Amino acid sequence: MSKKKYCEKFSVPEHLTVPLGACIPAPVKEQRAMITGNWRTERPVIDHEKCNLCLNCFIFCPDSSWHLDEEEEKMVWNADFCKGCLLCVAECDVDCLDAENELNFKGGVVRLDKPY
Amino acid sequence: MAKAVETQNLERVKSVRRVPQEEYYVPGHRTCQGCGPALCYKLVSKATGPDSIFLGPTGCMYVANTSYLCSPFAYPWMHTQITNAGAVASGVEAAYQVLIRKGKYKGKLPNIVVMGGDGGSIDIGLQAMSGMMYRGHDALFIMYDNESYANTGIQTSPMSPYGANTTFTPPGKAIPEGKVLFPKDAPQMVIGGHPAVKYVATASLAYPVDLINKVRKGLNVVGPTFIHIHCPCPKGWLFDADKTIEVAKLAIETGMWVNYEWEEGEYTYQHTPKEYTPVKEYMKTQERFSHLTDEHIAKMQAFIDAKLKAPGKPVPLPVTSPRESV
Amino acid sequence: MAKEMFLAGCSAAAYGAALARVEVITSFPIRPYTGIMMELSKLVANGELDAEFVHGEGEHAQVAIAYGAAAAGARAYTGSSGVGVTYAMECYSPASGGRLPCQMAIADRALDPPGDFGSEHTDVMSCRDQGWIMGWAETPQEVLDNTIIYYRIGEDPRVLLPQFCCQDGYFVSHIPGKVVMPEQSQVDEFLPPYKHPHALDPTKPISHGPQIYPDQGPAINLQRAQAFLDTPAVIEEVIEDFNKIFGRDYKPFLDEYRTDDADFVFFIQGGHARTARFAVNHLREKGVKAGMVKLRFVRPFPTEAVAETLSKFKAVGCVENSTSYGGAMKGGNLIHEVRSALYDVDNPPAVTSFMSGLGGEVVSLEEFYSMAKVLAEAAKTGKVEQYVYWVGFDKGV
Repeated sequence: MSKKKYCEKFSVPEHLTVPLGACIPAPVKEQRAMITGNWRTERPVIDHEKCNLCLNCFIFCPDSSWHLDEEEEKMVWNADFCKGCLLCVAECDVDCLDAENELNFKGGVVRLDKPY
Repeated sequence: MAKAVETQNLERVKSVRRVPQEEYYVPGHRTCQGCGPALCYKLVSKATGPDSIFLGPTGCMYVANTSYLCSPFAYPWMHTQITNAGAVASGVEAAYQVLIRKGKYKGKLPNIVVMGGDGGSIDIGLQAMSGMMYRGHDALFIMYDNESYANTGIQTSPMSPYGANTTFTPPGKAIPEGKVLFPKDAPQMVIGGHPAVKYVATASLAYPVDLINKVRKGLNVVGPTFIHIHCPCPKGWLFDADKTIEVAKLAIETGMWVNYEWEEGEYTYQHTPKEYTPVKEYMKTQERFSHLTDEHIAKMQAFIDAKLKAPGKPVPLPVTSPRESV
Repeated sequence: MAKEMFLAGCSAAAYGAALARVEVITSFPIRPYTGIMMELSKLVANGELDAEFVHGEGEHAQVAIAYGAAAAGARAYTGSSGVGVTYAMECYSPASGGRLPCQMAIADRALDPPGDFGSEHTDVMSCRDQGWIMGWAETPQEVLDNTIIYYRIGEDPRVLLPQFCCQDGYFVSHIPGKVVMPEQSQVDEFLPPYKHPHALDPTKPISHGPQIYPDQGPAINLQRAQAFLDTPAVIEEVIEDFNKIFGRDYKPFLDEYRTDDADFVFFIQGGHARTARFAVNHLREKGVKAGMVKLRFVRPFPTEAVAETLSKFKAVGCVENSTSYGGAMKGGNLIHEVRSALYDVDNPPAVTSFMSGLGGEVVSLEEFYSMAKVLAEAAKTGKVEQYVYWVGFDKGV
């Protein structure tokens, strides 16, 4: 009989490789493979003088993009992931957050590590 | 099932300040701007902490969270079919029971949490959810309710409110109100038919500390627990992304949503307004209700009024449902 | 001296599972496999087996519970029959794609309509493309042995696949036969404790089954394909090891009976092989050079072994016990596989198939004799007149 092989060992290019059973390692602090900061058309800008640390921005942010720096006693914003929904601006107790157009360079535009 | 294994005891959180800053539902997911279910996931994850296993049936919180072979879950997480989350959770829990009993796993029983959407919980996922509740598995089933099959493009689910414009219930000349049916009452289905369940609650994104504490309470109870969480969906309900919390609050103020706990037969109600705002104010915030006439809104108000007769008032036995009209 | 018992296939499967020290068992009643779960529930109730016994709310849930338990690191066991097998269909691919090696015992049964308790392979054969290891046992002894063997194969790190461990409903599941009970120590030596490389464990968090890029779709399917390419070598290794430890004489893929000088053979899987052996004996007494080749694994299908073995004969008759309406050969499923395997062989045998035993009809000696007539003629002429014969309803049979 013919001794044809039914399949040779496959070679899958790296960018298409899927780990066994599609099990991937869990992220630790951030999922850098899904940067969403470039979704924004507007971004929240905080006035630290006015901020009373009500933490509404922290607790209501669906993208976990506000955190309290306990040592500095001030809120820290994560530009890489904030999608610009502005829930924080709407929910702030003391109106210390303002929406700024993402293309407004005066407030400083956010540059991502690489374009997505 | 023998429940001899050691379980966790999660502390009550007193204020927003005491909510852990650590994220276990980390940033980096493809959910929409202002996504209610994503916020729900974040708050629930803060409540459970890392010693947990999450089961995620198909739905928004599967597809939008784990796109392109990456995920935002810092704890072990597994996809389940939209149909079988309760069953997979049952298998995981049973496995841990036996592995701990045999000394093959050394820790305490992990918090086993299902994050089911409304469809994956009480529509196509109802059978598996009910099976898990009936059999007494030590797991928490959370139904994040965005009142539609949102992932597939906002089709009606049994939780879509009367009058909602969904892509399967478009209003038209023959059917002017869009959705004509009234929603299921998910927590009452669990309470009413599952004697193994000792704790059921409803929670709202408008009250995050309350939500976190309910999740922790549910996890501390040994046995199956159920929490129904109201998760406004900007894309599906058609409101601006920064209004998610406003809509959630208005739902409570109008009686569209009632926050309560049920512990072994006893009801306690939270965040009950002194005076209810007409439901029209809630409906005005969302484009999905914009086609409704006064007649339809009156029908919705009558539904709410009937639903609200029980909360906050002593309920004569044997009536135990807050939806029961006295 | 090993203990001998008189057990039906259901009990044999249950004892096999108990010897494999299954940790999570999940049940739902449907005849005829129910006997397996009744037996296991007794073992658990009496404290003879330390396992969680979970009453699934249906077969769909059973498989979900089983693969959930396998994902969490427990050896999981479930089972079903007939429409129960097809009801759980959604859950098969997630279990194999997720590489979760739970085992499903099958005592097969005809699908509806109408209600019929009888044995038929169509239920599981319909699921043959779901990425599960799959094969039939002929006797209660083989049921018990396969139960242990399948766990070892499925849990091998080169394989990591769930398994359908099948037996014919009633003919095997409910007819007792002699079973040599292995010692627990033998089973423990043969089957190491279950360990999954990516178990759901808070100390080693993973995300199991996130969405992929469509372009990665082929890659994830290639993984399962690769596992199936690697499985035959594992099977050979495992069977050799099993024979050594338990003193049996299993062939990995094809069990040949009186084939040495055979002109034609019945190609068959499952319990009807027992009748086929008697038919071969009687035919031989009459001078007819008949033989039998029994298939032990239909997934992975042993292509090379089938090509090599069947090319020795002049004619092959696939005794089908499942339907493939409108398929290439208009009858059952085995002939598709057999003819494909023989396509590149020089001077292939004439191959036809016999639809028989559907719905639990007894495939009697007489039916085998009429099949033999067709095959003897084919062996003589080197040609078959039809690719499928509905035995009892077709010309010449």
